[in-house]
Amino acid sequence: MSKKIESAYIEGAKKAIASPTLQKSLDNIQDRFGKGAMQLWKELEDQGMRDRVKESRMRTLAHLDIILMELAQKVRKRGGKVFFARTAEEAVAYTLEVAQKNQVKSVVKGKSMTSMEIDIDPALEKAGIEVVETDLGEYIIQLAGDTPSHIIAPCIHMDRHDIGKLFTDKLGIEPTTDPPELTMAARKALREKLLSADMGITGCNLACAETGQIALVSNEGNIRMSTTMPRIHLALMGMERVTATTDEQRETLQLLTRGAALQKLSTYVSFNGGPKKEGDPDGPEEFHLVIIDNGRSKILADLEFRESLACIRCGACLNICPVYGKIGGHAYNSTYPGPIGAVITPLLDGVNKHADLCKGETLCGACLDVCPVKNDLPRMLSALRYKLAYGDNRWNVRQHNVKEAYVYAAWQKAISHSSAYRRMIKTARLLQKPFIGKNNMIKKMAGLASGWTDDRDLPPIAQRTFSEIWDEKYAKRQQQTPAIKEETNNEK
Amino acid sequence: MRNDLPFLDNIRKALNLPQGQERTKLTVPTLFEKPDKSATRRRIERRTYQEKQDLINIFSENCTNLGTKLHIAGSLKEAEDITVEIVRSRQPEFSYNRHIVLHDHPDIAAMQLWKRFNRESVTVHTTFSGDHETTEKTIASYIGITVPSISIAESGTLVQITSAGCPRSTSLVPSIHIALIRSETLVADLKEACCLLEDLKPEDSYVFISGPSKTADIEAHLVHGAHGPKEVHIILLKEEPQQLEPQAIQVESESPSEEKTESETPPEQACTLDDQAEETAEKS
Amino acid sequence: MAGKKVSLFVQCLVDSMFPQAAEAMVSIFQRLQIDFDYPTQQTCCGQPAFNSGYRKDATVAARRFIEIFENEAVIVCPSGSCVHMVRHHYPELFADDPEMLARAKTVGSKTFEFTQYLVDELNLSNIGAEFPGKVTYHDSCHLSRGLQINSQPRTLLRHIKGLEFIEMKDSDTCCGFGGTFAINYPDISTAMVDEKIENILASGAEVVTGCDISCLMNIQGRLSRREENVKVMHIAELLASTAGGQS
Ligand code: SF4
Repeated sequence: MSKKIESAYIEGAKKAIASPTLQKSLDNIQDRFGKGAMQLWKELEDQGMRDRVKESRMRTLAHLDIILMELAQKVRKRGGKVFFARTAEEAVAYTLEVAQKNQVKSVVKGKSMTSMEIDIDPALEKAGIEVVETDLGEYIIQLAGDTPSHIIAPCIHMDRHDIGKLFTDKLGIEPTTDPPELTMAARKALREKLLSADMGITGCNLACAETGQIALVSNEGNIRMSTTMPRIHLALMGMERVTATTDEQRETLQLLTRGAALQKLSTYVSFNGGPKKEGDPDGPEEFHLVIIDNGRSKILADLEFRESLACIRCGACLNICPVYGKIGGHAYNSTYPGPIGAVITPLLDGVNKHADLCKGETLCGACLDVCPVKNDLPRMLSALRYKLAYGDNRWNVRQHNVKEAYVYAAWQKAISHSSAYRRMIKTARLLQKPFIGKNNMIKKMAGLASGWTDDRDLPPIAQRTFSEIWDEKYAKRQQQTPAIKEETNNEK
Repeated sequence: MRNDLPFLDNIRKALNLPQGQERTKLTVPTLFEKPDKSATRRRIERRTYQEKQDLINIFSENCTNLGTKLHIAGSLKEAEDITVEIVRSRQPEFSYNRHIVLHDHPDIAAMQLWKRFNRESVTVHTTFSGDHETTEKTIASYIGITVPSISIAESGTLVQITSAGCPRSTSLVPSIHIALIRSETLVADLKEACCLLEDLKPEDSYVFISGPSKTADIEAHLVHGAHGPKEVHIILLKEEPQQLEPQAIQVESESPSEEKTESETPPEQACTLDDQAEETAEKS
Repeated sequence: MAGKKVSLFVQCLVDSMFPQAAEAMVSIFQRLQIDFDYPTQQTCCGQPAFNSGYRKDATVAARRFIEIFENEAVIVCPSGSCVHMVRHHYPELFADDPEMLARAKTVGSKTFEFTQYLVDELNLSNIGAEFPGKVTYHDSCHLSRGLQINSQPRTLLRHIKGLEFIEMKDSDTCCGFGGTFAINYPDISTAMVDEKIENILASGAEVVTGCDISCLMNIQGRLSRREENVKVMHIAELLASTAGGQS
């Protein structure tokens, strides 16, 4: 509406829409995984499963104090170390301390969004530690000096030609565009890193308080490698990624792998929760679990948004969202893109700062339908818009767009009196005349709604509105037919 | 560094709990309540021969879909032949030397693979507990052989539990993973598997493995062998029907209301697994 | 159907820009001998304000709507998203006001989308319409996901004589309208409606129809700018057509 809105979001969106590679990948991923997940939920034998898991997620959140305490106790009992980090800074400082204490020279990372959220890489690199991403997609992104564009498939904005060129430049391989050959080249390069690294840093898909073990899910095996070969394993865990019992953990994981990639189980689901045992030849000598708040407790406190912490980061909402399907992940300017990102990024990092994420969707509701835990993201987006509309103290939100607010205040007045409203329509009908083109459509509009006619026409206000037609044609008819009315009444 | 108190206090504040009052597990006992699993246990125990056959078929189908090669062996001797054939027909990926590494498990030991390869340039390692060179040997090997504790039909999954003599890397670092399983370890679904796992109470880490390592990060093109094994072979040792039927009947005669006896059965099963292995080994 | 009476709730966009859709609906009620009334004080249900976050302004519209319509027995609207607004969002707006909440829920329970009313409430499937041509149907989000209205319009379309019904690919994918979304984020919106149009064209249909003018206006606007030869009609217009043209 105003200039201000020509934001990074819109810039990013335009760039994405103009990239044929990205558009093709997005179509492909949405066709397969988005629709696939919808179909899967329809065919799910156990139709109560999603509601059950949602209930368990919400129960966990409501008792997070108890469950995290139990988790920490169980991990410590097994000889693991647990650190509670209130902020990203605390988490980074602890990780760095562990690395330095153990003279770590190289770190291998298993795909972890939390590590990106707290921005751990620069801190490690500054300390002279080599950091290597080991998920193939993340590795490609790292080599290219880029950022991920999907939470499950990070490099969908690059095609085989981009990647071939990158590998020739950076890994010195013979030029090729063959995905298996490229994968093998990365396999070789990464194997050396994985076998020789001092420390593995992973995320945590879902911890379990009952056992004190964290579940990690991967198809490539990089996460198993990162948690098996290095001396130290440090897992970064968003504080909500936990269940009380193994039964809940199992069901939730089943939804995760189904929602993410339509798999009954990912290739590897591993359960770790402590250092290796006496006599074990491999496995880490030290296991650290870093449980991170970083703004989550604020979300937890607000019942309107607590539900967003039920998320299990499966990415299904990205795979179905028609907006994400056009603009990809980069436009969101956040670790967390797509519908879930549009809700939690503003909550974690500032509602005003990410106003476009709150407003830049159509609220079509597809994300709610596909979400394994039925997170009502459209409802939460709408609630965020409410905060932006008038400002909000609790979340420190300023009124986002004063002009827009004024327009709606005027609109409210207009629709409150039908006679004034109809007069307004009549005036608009007169004013639109010079804009009506040959095919009886408006081609160009000025003012607030001009965005509409950038790429599409607008039908003009009709010569006779329905209200006017009613007055002329039907209102009289009713006056003439009280007899019929009575008749019908008598019939009853 | 320890932050437990202020961190948990923040959560209590967020949950609107009265300050200074710490809730514990005992405050909300229902939180850690476990669902009753007797029905699942009964289902596992009372599976008839035909139902077990069906499970094998489902398992086989899912293995095929995942790209896992399933071999059915009627005896340990047959399993041995299949293993030898795989070792002979495959080339090492990362070196020229042919090393293979085996878990320290009676079923594998019974195959006496070192004897079969004593005239070939194949070095056979076993991951004996306490051997400090196990990791190097594993890295040098192109094939790793393990005996998973449980396998799952609905998802073509192996459950590999870490224990002394059975380290994590054997099923991960070599290019090819061969898993030797007995048909009685096969269950229908994850729920059943977790039920058995609960009884096994793995103290160390464990992993569910479903198919070879894979990635689709480059243009959604599926490629096997991203970081883990490129090939997974499962050799399924099929038990004889005569051995099985009386067992099934025996379980059925038990009273279903006797929770305790039932919950104790699976660990026994797990124990008999080893005994049976020796038995079969003697036969062959 | 004599003895039935409905109160017409005409979406503001239909009133001012697509009166033919409301007229078509009226003519169908006449054909079915259903009595109807149009409370002339009605203006807008408040949906645009609500979707943009201006709930206080939307509440004014909602209160007004409730006051105007609450004494009616049955309220019928040719627009799914407005019905969704009344049924699902009015209660949200009055969550803290028990008295208004109860009134909102009562009004919501008797507000029906047009095809929903014909099929679910009146048990109709064939209402004697005739329309020659190939027609495809766009599932508006608030209808298909919000109100679970998927089969009703299809049932009615399949019973129109001469009409060849063709499903398009991804009929329930959002067309990119989203109210002020289309104005604030025209690039994204256009990319979305273009995909919709590709699917419409691929279906080979001559007419695209739907139960919500908002989406249809968006699709029509883009079709017109692209100078595509596909006609956009509200489902009521198709259902009002008879052998002699639109009645
Ligand atoms: S919001 Fe739902 S669909 Fe989206 S990532 Fe989270 S769990 Fe998956």
